[in-house]
Amino acid sequence: MSTARLLTIREMLGRVHLRLILFAVLLAAASLTLSGGLVIRSYAQRNLDLVARTVAYTVEPAVVFDDRQAILDGIASVADSGGVRQVEVRDPAGRVLATWTNPRAGLPDWLLATGNRLLWRRPATASLVHSGTRIGEVRITGNPEALLRFALAGAIIALTTLALTVIATRILARRLQRDVIGPLEHVAEVAHAVRTERSFDRRVPVAGIAEIDRFGQDFNALLAELQGWHATLTRENAELAERVLLDPLTGLGNRAAFEAALPRAVTAAVTTSQSFAVLYCDVDRFKAINDAHGHEAGDAVLMAIGQRLRAVLRQDDQAFRLGGDEFVILLAPVGGDDVVGRIAARLGQAMTAPIMLLNGHAVATGLSIGVATYPDDGLSPEELLRRADRAMYDEKRARSHNTTEDL
Amino acid sequence: MATGEPALTPFALAGAAEAGSYDPAVARVVQSLAEYTRWPTPRNPLRLCVAGPALHAGRLDGLRLADGRTIDRRTMPPSAVTPGACDAVYIGQLPPLAQRQLTTTLRGRGVMTIAEADPACRSQAMFCLSFSAQAVSFRLNVDAVARSGLRVDPRVLRLSAGGQP
Repeated sequence: MSTARLLTIREMLGRVHLRLILFAVLLAAASLTLSGGLVIRSYAQRNLDLVARTVAYTVEPAVVFDDRQAILDGIASVADSGGVRQVEVRDPAGRVLATWTNPRAGLPDWLLATGNRLLWRRPATASLVHSGTRIGEVRITGNPEALLRFALAGAIIALTTLALTVIATRILARRLQRDVIGPLEHVAEVAHAVRTERSFDRRVPVAGIAEIDRFGQDFNALLAELQGWHATLTRENAELAERVLLDPLTGLGNRAAFEAALPRAVTAAVTTSQSFAVLYCDVDRFKAINDAHGHEAGDAVLMAIGQRLRAVLRQDDQAFRLGGDEFVILLAPVGGDDVVGRIAARLGQAMTAPIMLLNGHAVATGLSIGVATYPDDGLSPEELLRRADRAMYDEKRARSHNTTEDL
Repeated sequence: MATGEPALTPFALAGAAEAGSYDPAVARVVQSLAEYTRWPTPRNPLRLCVAGPALHAGRLDGLRLADGRTIDRRTMPPSAVTPGACDAVYIGQLPPLAQRQLTTTLRGRGVMTIAEADPACRSQAMFCLSFSAQAVSFRLNVDAVARSGLRVDPRVLRLSAGGQP
């Protein structure tokens, strides 16, 4: 595979334009030069022939009178206008009667000779005829100076025009880029932003060009669909993630959620220098209810306890079911033991009402609660949990001494 | 070109020898002028009258024009020259007054006039010869040409000494 740098559309447009222009200009220049050259050459030849005939007509009496000076004067009067380099008048025997050379030859001889070879295949000649008798011949060599200057000027003009055209091409390519490639680059930029930044809300603006707008509309529609899918996926993912951390029976956080929440709470308490409390709860007589009324009854009891916990707790407090009949509550920053005690008391109170089972029986239960406060009872999550757990067992043991019932 | 005539006096010989050297040139000029002049009707042969004593008219006999016409030269006294007898008149060594009289007679009658002895061209002859060491040239009197009743090729005007515009 080639590793060559990729072309941008602008470069490609510029190149294509340049080639097109160069091709068109060169083609036009070549055809014009060719046809113009042929026409000019034919005109030059005809002009030289005409000058030769005019010279012949003008100098004819001078030749008849054998007046050399008059021959020269006659030639000069006709040929002095330019376009003629040399005029020779010969008699029929080939003797030169007069030679006239244009005194105004400004270009070097080799250049004039080359120009002459290109323009005139032969010197122009005209017979001197007097009363039907041939009395001599005029032979004229052309002077291509004016034509060379014309060709030079033409070449300069052509090159200037070419340069202007190239500049115009650049400008046109730039304009084309602005009008066509600009919108395309918008699309590319939006696509890039969508891919890298997930900004599905970006849309391609209206470009004002039918094809690109149609493309942009489809692209936007695609983006809208993508945005919908993305939103759905994100929502479902969030739900899934939430479900992983939820206890399906009570709707409270599960053990995983608690294990994530406890260190978070510690960190938050450290940074804000506030205290919080961990309440470890265990349902009284749960095993007995299960044995007496079945697991469905046990589940109903757990659900009812979950509801009652939620009803008591404040907005920032969190309740979790660790498994079985064990619950943990994280109390948001508390002012003092007073608050914790009050909430614990309220929790106990909330549990006193009997729980109605589906089979019509009502069962009474309660919560054994162990409290550990940060930072008084521990600084690490493990320490806090251990302390709360031990406090809960102490409590449960104390309660079982007070009552004859087995908790 | 020593084709002088034996009958001439030594003085005349000397003069003729000098004058005779112009004869071919004069003949050529006269012939060429005749060739570039158009008569109302073509004249063949062209009757060339030499009026008065001429110094350089020795070669005017038997001239043939480029178009094949011949020149019939005749010599006569000025008084005998009439438009009906001559198509062209070569005016020889005559006093100015006599030259003037002759040209007045011929004016407008279709007769070409060439003056040999009028370098300033005041005689109202159409053409006046002038002689230099190198060549024979001529002057053209535009007024006389215009009144002559003949047509002279305008290119001849360029050739006349001092006649160029």
